[in-house]
Amino acid sequence: MSKKTGTKTIQKGKVGAFLQRSSVPILFILICAVCIPMAGLSPSYLINEIVTRMGRNAFLILSLLIPIMAGMGLNFGMTLGAMAGEIGLILVSDWQIVGIPGMVLAMIISVPISILLGLFCGKILNMAKGREMITSYIISYFINGVYQLVVLYLMGSIIPIKHSSIKLPRGYGIRNTVSLLEMRQKLDNLIPLTIGGVKIPVMTFIIIGILCLVIIWFRRTKLGQDMRAVGQDMEVARDAGINVERTRILSIIISTVLAGIGMIIYLQNMGNIATYSSHSQIGMFCIAALLVGGASVDKASIGNVFLGVILFHLMFIVAPRAGAAITGDSMIGEYFRVFVSYAVITVALVMYETNKRKAKSMESEQLKQEQLEEENK
Amino acid sequence: MKSKKTLLIRIISIAVLIAIAAAMFVIGRGHTVYFDNKDLEVDGTVYEAPYQIEVFVNDESVAKLKSGDRGMVSTMGQDFSMVLHITPEKDAKKVGSAVALKLPYNLDGIILNLPALLGGAGEDVYLEEFIPAPVVEDADEEVIVTDEFEMPMGDE
Amino acid sequence: MNEKAINKKEKSWFGKLVESYGLPRLIITAFLLLLLILAPFVGADLPTQVSNIIARFSWNGILVLAMVPMVHSGCGLNFGLPLGIISGLLGATMSIEFGFTGPLSFVMAILIATPFALVLGTVYGWLLNKIKGGEMMIATYVGFSSVSLMCMMWLILPYKSPNMVWGLSGKGLRTTISLEGYYNEVLANFLRIRIGNLDIPVGTLLFFTVLALGIWAFLHTKTGTAMTAVGSNPTFARAAGINVDKMRLLSVVMSTWLAAVGILVYEQGFGFVQLYMAPFYMALPAVSAILIGGATVNKATIMNVIIGTILFQGIVTMTPTVMNNMIHMDMSEVIRIIVSNGMILYALTRKTEGAK
Repeated sequence: MSKKTGTKTIQKGKVGAFLQRSSVPILFILICAVCIPMAGLSPSYLINEIVTRMGRNAFLILSLLIPIMAGMGLNFGMTLGAMAGEIGLILVSDWQIVGIPGMVLAMIISVPISILLGLFCGKILNMAKGREMITSYIISYFINGVYQLVVLYLMGSIIPIKHSSIKLPRGYGIRNTVSLLEMRQKLDNLIPLTIGGVKIPVMTFIIIGILCLVIIWFRRTKLGQDMRAVGQDMEVARDAGINVERTRILSIIISTVLAGIGMIIYLQNMGNIATYSSHSQIGMFCIAALLVGGASVDKASIGNVFLGVILFHLMFIVAPRAGAAITGDSMIGEYFRVFVSYAVITVALVMYETNKRKAKSMESEQLKQEQLEEENK
Repeated sequence: MKSKKTLLIRIISIAVLIAIAAAMFVIGRGHTVYFDNKDLEVDGTVYEAPYQIEVFVNDESVAKLKSGDRGMVSTMGQDFSMVLHITPEKDAKKVGSAVALKLPYNLDGIILNLPALLGGAGEDVYLEEFIPAPVVEDADEEVIVTDEFEMPMGDE
Repeated sequence: MNEKAINKKEKSWFGKLVESYGLPRLIITAFLLLLLILAPFVGADLPTQVSNIIARFSWNGILVLAMVPMVHSGCGLNFGLPLGIISGLLGATMSIEFGFTGPLSFVMAILIATPFALVLGTVYGWLLNKIKGGEMMIATYVGFSSVSLMCMMWLILPYKSPNMVWGLSGKGLRTTISLEGYYNEVLANFLRIRIGNLDIPVGTLLFFTVLALGIWAFLHTKTGTAMTAVGSNPTFARAAGINVDKMRLLSVVMSTWLAAVGILVYEQGFGFVQLYMAPFYMALPAVSAILIGGATVNKATIMNVIIGTILFQGIVTMTPTVMNNMIHMDMSEVIRIIVSNGMILYALTRKTEGAK
């Protein structure tokens, strides 16, 4: 009797869960479907934009997957990697290393910085188990302060910066924007390809593809399996002889390093660095995009990344235009897309927490039932 | 035993990374090359500018210089080669000439005086460092230090 | 031998101090004292500096006080402070819109803000009850979402007062609205004391004291102790027959209302209403202030609020002057960011039994 109802509820739960999981993407498809005709943008323009943004953002968003696998939630600390990438790029542009070699060098510089920052972040998150997200979020602010200390006061005074084009006139500190003109879209245009008026950044896509393969491979390695075990249940993993703390730290380090590389790819497409603000927004946009793609705090796949980029950025492009068309004020559209980004994250977090509580109460219910059955025997 | 092996692998990978970085320093060094098609007089020798020179770098026309003009191109690495199409007089026939030279590593901007270069002068004659004119600007550019998103847009 | 023993004794005394007072707080206090001692030497006028600190304390005190109820009921640090601030802003703008001026506009602003705070606080509290354990992260994003939603609203809502809307288009509120002629410094000017360069806004301090005493008294009522019980041990509280969800909801509503009043008091001192993105990051300074005052994620007293606000505002006001005069390098912003966020990190990483 009880078994039958059990399977039934599970089936019901499956359909419900699927709907719940895809509710955000469905909502976004609806928003886009309403906004696109109103925005009045040509399809070729839209496709071009989406392809560009895919190349620009996908690598960064992929860097979020591994901490989710390790049960550490959305890594708001990916900003740390972004800062490391920016420091690499600032140095490289002062040394006048240009083009692809400049990018490679910036990446090599960013890696040790990312590793150190990731180590720091991982250690702190281990001290704040159960509230990783808010902690990683505050870490990103904290390190932002350190970053400003380095870039605004130490660069030019202690770290040598030669060129006045990136240095502030007062003699130390970096300007608000650093131009990457000689690096701009060098990676995207390495293998030029245009299909039907749509410019495709082939090399960037190849790199993103390689990263996807690496992530798939990584899941099957010993370390990847450990991470999943830790993500499922820390205590069980510890009993199984996994070094939980080390595994968690490693997942954050990997994520930070990838974010650093991703940021360099992102900025080569943009063509300049907004020294003090490029990184501050990147975490939020990447997380929002991932969530829009149907990911949740404890589950995210590569598919979510790509779906998320398409839907989120489609909304991003059309919302201001649509807002202007409806209300005659373009600012409303601007605010609308900001609101949607935050609202998506909020909804995803609320859903995650309620599900967690439901699962917990179901578990305890089950325990009670089992106990009852035991007693009845 | 195992730790020794991982240590070795780590050292090797770090060494490889450093080697790549060093290589990038060499091949990735960017220069801005300026071409002057101007008369130049050094120690009594006069290099006269032809009527027009067209500069090709990587089969791409980067500058068409009448006498007295200056053109520029951004390059990467120290090996620099270009093809010059020289028109000595108005309506005269074009003469092609391929030039390859090594750029000094430590200079960001380099001025090449083409008439001197074609006239067979030494490097110290045709090559000169380009020093950008100091830009006059407000002494203190306002830097906004903040831990806040100003207007969280940014993705344009 | 003897010396050694004394040394040991001293060390343990020092250790005890560190333990009870908290190392970061000790460092920050020492830093502030150092700044105060240095100030006259670098040519800053001490009474002016002290007045600045007192003034800023009076502006921010209630916003920090708004943390207390939620911490007590175990909802953690109120990163959702912007929600309450928005209620306050609605009160402020409507009070001006309806044509109230002078001190009356301040009273009306509080009265109008109250129902908003109660409604928003109830919804917010209801939400936080559904997601026990993940309050802080969600609170942060509830704050962000509501601020960005209100950004649209400030443009759309039919405000008409020429003192508030953009002059050109005649619609949509300005980003900053001057309170000249409304409630600018209404509290500060009440019983204000001026001796030379020393300037004490007694009225604002009194207002803060009244509210702080109110909260203190409330926490000692039956409901207040029940709320504390919910925060320190929810299982026990439930067993004792306390309605946990109701207590938490009450605390959230209180926090939200205090935030609404807090922003109005801030505005009367500052002289301007700041709309749009301004409330975005008002939570972080308040959170770090109470933590600097010695509060933890699940324990906070009125004393923490007072000490923390003085220390935090002291550092914020003193560092720029002293630093600028000493080394001609204004690193105060960077120091503020590092200190305040470092403090929050420190609090988050400390083991607390209340964390579920």
